[in-house]
Amino acid sequence: MKKVLALMLAVLTLLAFTGCGTTTNKTAETTPQAKVEKVRIALVLPATVDDLAWGQSMVEGLKAVQKTMGADKVEVATSEKLGNPVDAGAAIRQYATQGYDIIIAHGSQYQSVLMDIAKDFPKTTFAYGSGFTTASNIFAYDPQAQEGGYLLGMLAAMTSKTGTVGIVGPMESGDAVTYNSGVQQGVTKGKADVKTRVAYTGSFNDIVGAGNLAKTEMSAGADILTGSSQQAVGAMRAVAETKGNYWLSTDMDQSSAAPDTVLAAQAYNWEKVVTKIIDLRKQGILGGQHLILSFADGTIDLKFNPKLADKIPAAAKAAVEQAKADITSGKLKIAVIKK
Amino acid sequence: MEGVMNSAIIISILATGIRSATPYLLAALGEMFTQRSGVYNLGVEGIMMMGAFVGFYATLHSGSPLLGIVASLGIGGLMGLLMALVSVTFKAEQGISGIGLYMFGWGLSGLLYRLYVGGITSINGLQLVKIPLLSNIPFLGPIFFDQNVLVYTALLLVPLSGFILNKTSWGLNVRAVGNKPEAADTLGVSVERIRYECLILGSMLAGLAGAFLTIGQANMYADNITAGRGFIAIALVYFGRWNPWGILLGSLLFSMADSFQSMVQVLGINFPYELAVILPYVVTIIALAISFGRVWAPAALGKPFQRGTRG
Repeated sequence: MKKVLALMLAVLTLLAFTGCGTTTNKTAETTPQAKVEKVRIALVLPATVDDLAWGQSMVEGLKAVQKTMGADKVEVATSEKLGNPVDAGAAIRQYATQGYDIIIAHGSQYQSVLMDIAKDFPKTTFAYGSGFTTASNIFAYDPQAQEGGYLLGMLAAMTSKTGTVGIVGPMESGDAVTYNSGVQQGVTKGKADVKTRVAYTGSFNDIVGAGNLAKTEMSAGADILTGSSQQAVGAMRAVAETKGNYWLSTDMDQSSAAPDTVLAAQAYNWEKVVTKIIDLRKQGILGGQHLILSFADGTIDLKFNPKLADKIPAAAKAAVEQAKADITSGKLKIAVIKK
Repeated sequence: MEGVMNSAIIISILATGIRSATPYLLAALGEMFTQRSGVYNLGVEGIMMMGAFVGFYATLHSGSPLLGIVASLGIGGLMGLLMALVSVTFKAEQGISGIGLYMFGWGLSGLLYRLYVGGITSINGLQLVKIPLLSNIPFLGPIFFDQNVLVYTALLLVPLSGFILNKTSWGLNVRAVGNKPEAADTLGVSVERIRYECLILGSMLAGLAGAFLTIGQANMYADNITAGRGFIAIALVYFGRWNPWGILLGSLLFSMADSFQSMVQVLGINFPYELAVILPYVVTIIALAISFGRVWAPAALGKPFQRGTRG
C-alpha cells in the first residue's frame, strides 16, 4: 500500500513539474510580444520594503515608474529579507524562470550570484548595485553617495553648535565608505575646525546598537549626526529623543519618521534609473552598462526639511546650495577617499 | 587622537554598559532556570523577538510601557509553554525544537509587524527613573541610579534568582530535577511540572529581554531587532556556570567591553574598527578560557525524562 502511494506521489510530482515547465515555456515564448505591452519587473531586497532606507527608496522608485507608465504597463513583484545571497539566488532564478523581464537585485552582495545566474537567462535583464562590474545582460548601478554626503557634511559643520559631527556607520565597506568619505570632506570644507566622529556597529541591521552608538557620539559632543544603511533609523530615533541635536539622512528622506529631527536628506531618484533600464531594454540593450547616479543627471537630490528651515543658518544654506550647483554643473568633483 | 578619558566619558561608558547588559542579563537568568531543570532552550532569540514585538505593539496602542512589559511577559510565557509541550511532554530533541522555536518567533514577529504596524513607527518607551539620594552620589549615581525600571529589575533579579535557586524548596526541586531526575521523581517531585515551570519562567524573562530592546532602548521595532542577543545570552549561561552572579559578571564584561570599544571608535583613537567590534567576543572567550575550576553542568541537561529508564 505504501509503495503504491509513494508511486502515485512520484507521478503526481512529475506531472506537477511538467505542468510548471509548460507554463514557463509559454511565458518565455510570449515574452518578445509581451515586452512591448507590459514590463514585468522583479525586485529582490536584502532588508524590508519599509526600512525607510535603501530598500524602501527603490520600492518607491518602482511605484513611481508604475504611476508614470501606468499600472497596466508595469508589473512589479518583490521579495524581501533576502540578505543572504544564496537565498536571494534561489529567488532570482525563480523570477527568471517565470519570465520576468527585468530582475533588480538591490545590493552589492548579489554581484557574484547574478554573474552566475545571468548566463542561463540571456534574454532577461538583470541589475544590481552598488557596483560597477557588468555583463552583457547585467546593469550595475552606482550612486555617487559622496556627492550628497559632501553637501550634508558642509551643512553639518556650518550648523553644529558644539563643533562636532557624528557618523554612525554599519561596516566600513561599500556605500558606507563612499558616503562617509563625502561627509568628512564636506565637514572640513564647511568649517575646518569642526571634528567628525566616525564609528561602526559592525552590522547593517542592529538598530539598538546603532542607537547606542549615536548616544555615545552625542555624549562625546556630537550635535549633528548622520549614517547610512537600514540600521540608521535606530540612530535617528536616539537623536530624536534628545533636544538640540539633529540628524541628516541618506538614501531617502527620513523626515516623515522624525519631522523635528531630520534637517536634510540625500535622496536617490530610482524612478529615473529604472526608466532608463526599461528604455535601454526596449532598444535591445539588455545590460553591459555602468549606470551612475549623480546630481548631474538628477538621479540624486538634496532635500531640506521645511519644518526645520529656521535651524539652518542662512550662510550654511547658501554655501550648500552653491556647492550643489557646482557639483551639478561638474565644476566641483568629489572623489572617494579610501583609507 | 585624544588621549584624555575624562570622568564624563568614563561615566558614559559604564552607564551604557550597564544599560546594554540588561537584555543579556534578563534572558540569561531565565535560561539559567530552564537549564538548571535539565532543558536547554535554544529558542531564546525567537522568544525575544516576539517579546520585542508584542511589548512594542502593546505600548504603541495603550501608550503605557507598563502594559508592554506585561504583554511581553505573557507572550514569553506562551512561547515557553509551547517549548515545554514539545520538549517535555512530547520529548522531542531539545536542540532541534529550540531552533524551531527561534525560527517560529523570527517569522511570526516579522509577519505580525508587517500585518499590524509596518514602516518605521516610534513609541514613547520607558523613562529614566532617578533614584532619590542615590542618583546624587558622584560618579556612581549616574551609572547605577539613573536608568529605567527594567535595568533595576534585571540587577535585582540576580540576588533574587540566587536566593530562589539555593534557599527555597522550589529551587531545591529545580536543582534535583536537573541533576538526578530519577531521584527527584522517586521522592514525589514531578519532573515534568518543574520543567514546565522553569521553561515558562525562563521564557517570560526572555520575552521581557526582548521588550527591553523595543520599549527600553530603541523605542521602535524593526525586523530582526534582537540581532543575535538571544544566542549570546545562552553562551553567557555557560560562561556564568549556571550561577546568577557568574551570569551577571559575564553580561557586564561583554557589555562593558562593547561600550568601551564604541567609545574608542568615537574618540578617534587610532585602532582598526574591525578589531574594536570583536573586542567583546574576544574578551569573553579569553575570560572563559582562563577561568579555571571544575566545569560543572546540570547532569541531566538535554535529556528528556522517561520514568523507569535511566536518563
